[in-house]
Amino acid sequence: MKDITVRVFRFDPENDEKPHFQTYSASVSDGARVLHALHAIHNEHDPTLSYRYCCGSGQCGSCAVRVNGEPVLACMEEARDGMTVEPLDLPIVKDLVVDMGPYLDSLHALVPAPEFRMPTPDEVEEIKPLRSCIECLACVSACPALKVIDFAGPTAMRQELRLQLDPRDQQDRVTEAVGEGLFTCTSCQACWKVCPKDIQLPGKAIEKLRALANKKGLTLPRHQDVAQLVKETGRSVVRTETSFLEQIPEVLEPYGEVKGTVGFFVGCMYNQRLPQTALDAMEVLRRNGIRVIIPKEQVCCGSPLIRTGQVDFLDTLKRRNIDAFVFRNIDTVLTMCAGCGSTLKHDYKTPFKVMDINEVLTKYGIEPPARLPLKATYHDPCHLLRGQGIKNQPRELITQVVDLIEMPAICCGSGGGVKSGVPDEAAALGEKRREEIKKTGADIVISSCPFCEYHIRDHSDIPVKNVTTVLLEGYREKDRKAKEQKPC
Amino acid sequence: MRSDDVLLCHVLVIGSGGAGVRAAIEASQYGETLLVSKTIAGKGGCTTMAEGGYNAVLRTADSCDIHFEDTMKGGARLNDRDLVQILVKEAPERMNDLLKWGAVFDVTTECEVAQRPFGGQRFPRTCYAGDRTGHEMMMTLIDRLDSTGVGVHNEITIIDLLKDGDTVCGAAALDRKGELVLIKADSTVIATGGGTKVYDISTNSSSGTGDGYAIGYRAGAELIDMEQVQFHPTGAVYPYDARGRLVTEAVRGEGGVLKNSLGERFMSAYDPERMELSTRDVVARAIATEILEGRGTTHAGVYLDVTHLPRSQIETRLPVMLEQFLKFGVDIRNEPMEVAPTAHHIMGGLRITTQCETTIPGLYACGEVTGGVHGANRLGGNALADTQVFGKRAGEAAGKAGKKTVCIDDAQVDTIRSTVDNYMKGDTNPSHVIRSLQTAMWEGAGIFRTAPDLEKTLGIISHLSTIRLKAASPENLAECCIVRNMLLTASLIVRGALLRKESRGAHVRKDVTQAWDPSSSPYRHTYLSDRREGIETGVWE
Ligand SMILES: Cc1cc2nc3c(=O)[nH]c(=O)nc-3n(C[C@H](O)[C@H](O)[C@H](O)COP(=O)(O)OP(=O)(O)OC[C@H]3O[C@@H](n4cnc5c(N)ncnc54)[C@H](O)[C@@H]3O)c2cc1C
Ligand code: SF4
Ligand code: SF4
Ligand code: FES
Repeated sequence: MKDITVRVFRFDPENDEKPHFQTYSASVSDGARVLHALHAIHNEHDPTLSYRYCCGSGQCGSCAVRVNGEPVLACMEEARDGMTVEPLDLPIVKDLVVDMGPYLDSLHALVPAPEFRMPTPDEVEEIKPLRSCIECLACVSACPALKVIDFAGPTAMRQELRLQLDPRDQQDRVTEAVGEGLFTCTSCQACWKVCPKDIQLPGKAIEKLRALANKKGLTLPRHQDVAQLVKETGRSVVRTETSFLEQIPEVLEPYGEVKGTVGFFVGCMYNQRLPQTALDAMEVLRRNGIRVIIPKEQVCCGSPLIRTGQVDFLDTLKRRNIDAFVFRNIDTVLTMCAGCGSTLKHDYKTPFKVMDINEVLTKYGIEPPARLPLKATYHDPCHLLRGQGIKNQPRELITQVVDLIEMPAICCGSGGGVKSGVPDEAAALGEKRREEIKKTGADIVISSCPFCEYHIRDHSDIPVKNVTTVLLEGYREKDRKAKEQKPC
Repeated sequence: MRSDDVLLCHVLVIGSGGAGVRAAIEASQYGETLLVSKTIAGKGGCTTMAEGGYNAVLRTADSCDIHFEDTMKGGARLNDRDLVQILVKEAPERMNDLLKWGAVFDVTTECEVAQRPFGGQRFPRTCYAGDRTGHEMMMTLIDRLDSTGVGVHNEITIIDLLKDGDTVCGAAALDRKGELVLIKADSTVIATGGGTKVYDISTNSSSGTGDGYAIGYRAGAELIDMEQVQFHPTGAVYPYDARGRLVTEAVRGEGGVLKNSLGERFMSAYDPERMELSTRDVVARAIATEILEGRGTTHAGVYLDVTHLPRSQIETRLPVMLEQFLKFGVDIRNEPMEVAPTAHHIMGGLRITTQCETTIPGLYACGEVTGGVHGANRLGGNALADTQVFGKRAGEAAGKAGKKTVCIDDAQVDTIRSTVDNYMKGDTNPSHVIRSLQTAMWEGAGIFRTAPDLEKTLGIISHLSTIRLKAASPENLAECCIVRNMLLTASLIVRGALLRKESRGAHVRKDVTQAWDPSSSPYRHTYLSDRREGIETGVWE
């Protein structure tokens, strides 16, 4: 047995004006789960603590709560000393018990078709992963989109695809899903990351439904325009100034000793909208011994098409991009756009390794920049944090140049085609970022994704900068100081 | 309580597991039906947790007669013949209902439902959806339920049946806040599931507290074979809080082997023919014996090993097991599991007819709360079939029963109310009473039993029953009522165990030497009601 401290959310809407936290010291066995800590509190300290559970083994989906902010199953998550336990972000009945009923009722049920046909083994294999959902609603709690717009939510989309794939159901679930906000998902991956059954909701449900919607001609007009643009120009955005690729030689030698060589995949946004940021990044790479090869024939990675379900043209893009790097015998491709990086890593089968710039810089180590007298906050790009699991590396870089104040990692609203397709939603999510940014009291916001940087710029009262731009500023400051100290 | 606080319906179904939901779907065709359960429909009960599968005769090479014989043999011939006949005959039809309603079972390349071998069966007839079969069934049933007019009341705990004279006329319940709710019904179906939570080590969900046995008993219904408690051979042993969690029989069905700490495949000493796939009572006793005789692991278990199977087979056929063990730091693809017996299923329960009528008018029952179908030992896969076959029958019989002019008995309601109110004035934390009960049951009424141990256990239960339970707030009232039910259910198990002076199926009396085997046993059912108790005698044909 061991004693752990647990901070628990308490709220009885009928008697309490507002929620409060209560801290307990609970005696639990080794290997105890959060649920057992709650049992210990309930049995030994306070029988009035309300929480829901049933199977105790991750099968019924009754017990989801947030532990240190992250939705988890109480019966499966290991209890840790100092943890904070809160209810899911759903209407609260009491303490940790939320009202699951209305959401569960809203999920659609199979409507048997007049003709019965058993699903084939292939159909069963396709449906099965969608079927393992235990309706714990962790994903619903985590989804940023449904908090700002009418959206049935991640597991509702999963259920729609499950029904669509079943020959025994007679309804048109694709059109239904479109009506329920299929195009409002920002592809932030939050739902997948919290799903105790590891159901890849955005990739395996939402994007598939969007592809089916595309076949029915239900793709949003703005998304169709993007696809048209990609087909015509190889790029998903219109060029507003001289592009990055037009400004740069094919090979950039580092200033000092060569520590490594990478191929650079720039992506549409940094190429056509934010070329200066990409140029800043090249400076940082050169300064840190990285030789960069930049094939000029590279095109859009296809992410805007995949996320919106427009996949017919995809193979052409993939082939062109892969060939561009393979032709130059490149074994490591560097991305600095979180979306491109995630796409190359997950949607491509590449004969080369793909690394994000934060990974490369922390792998080789950087020359220390001067410290800037700034307080910064960092916005985790969804496709970096959840898409590529990159959390510490940018922080490791940032803290070498400025002080970092954390804020919760929530989608800014720029992904999944939402900025173009559902601008109101993107703006609403952007405004939520503004509030969080304000709370930190920081002087600048740092991020590492062109979509986030571009979008948050419209929803922040302070400047938004890329990680590498801030590093470069640190180097410039260092150089300036060095010059000042040199006797003339 | 004003009279308009009473919910009215034609059929009241108590319990939203496989049996209850199936009953409600069926009953709704005949009149207004209410489904009340202490958990959220679809999430509560043990059906959702069932992993292994559902037995049904689907192939021409198999037959209902063989399924019947397997079930009888597995049940040590204590089963009600009529009920077993119905079970084996209707299990395939009920499987078809599920398929029609959208259940996603694993299928063969010929698009037939796939089947796997399970213990004690001569044909691989266990249909499955990976190792989440019960969950698949529940999702399907809830889908179907949504398309009926059944009124679903979640998180309401039934505390007693209401009676008008001898006839059951509904039930009294407590809602989340501890408010009394009365429900008046022409017919009432109990489908509250099992109750092995009365043991320290159990596979059951939190709702497996035996409420139905206790509620039925208090209302005057008769129960049979309550001593027949199945100890599943393979429950988790580590970490402490996960003890008892089921390691599905499918693990052995897929080819898992049992080994003791000396590395011996010890089943060869107990049942060389069927080995790991012997019936559960045999395997559980074998494991318990290995551990008692010092050949167990340091966590007091034995090894269950699947590392010789292809990794892909483990990943696709046993994903839930893989995931659960990974969470506790054991990768079953690379290392063996440690397992020991755990209290799993109560074969005994409310005595029913083939129409699911209990011994009191107006009350029907189906699912694990009933007795007779599984005899002295249930075959893996037969319980899920049971829920569907008898769930439908109960719903149909209850629905077809006529309207009744029944009245709620105010005096009874007053008694219920005062019992409940008294919990506000009690002095003992109910969770402490549960712990004492669970320990006593595990020690005194477990796998191996003797009369002195059972008497002692009964004494402890009687003492615990005199303790004044304390509800810390009105919301805790239901908890107190449930503890009362656990105590009563435990006492029924022990009383049944004392009545059956033989070893049969899951029930082993170490203090009795007997000269008969199940087919020549002079005993039939034990029975318990508030009016009589005893054991039926006579060799079955
Ligand atoms: C872990 C596990 C695995 C299993 N695997 C298999 C398997 O693979 N194959 C197989 O055939 N069998 C299996 N079984 C057995 C089988 O699952 C059960 O016997 C069967 O599901 C019982 O169904 P039921 O509907 O009778 O009860 P349950 O599914 O247990 O449902 C009982 C319902 O009654 C409600 N309830 C209880 N008390 C009250 C009350 N006082 N008031 C209101 N509502 C109440 C509960 O909330 C719940 O909704 C397994 C059992 C367990 C525990
Ligand atoms: S990916 Fe993000 S926005 Fe889309 S459903 Fe999941 S949580 Fe919601
Ligand atoms: S998809 Fe995953 S997180 Fe969402 S309800 Fe289902 S199991 Fe829970
Ligand atoms: S209690 Fe069932 S999933 Fe946690």
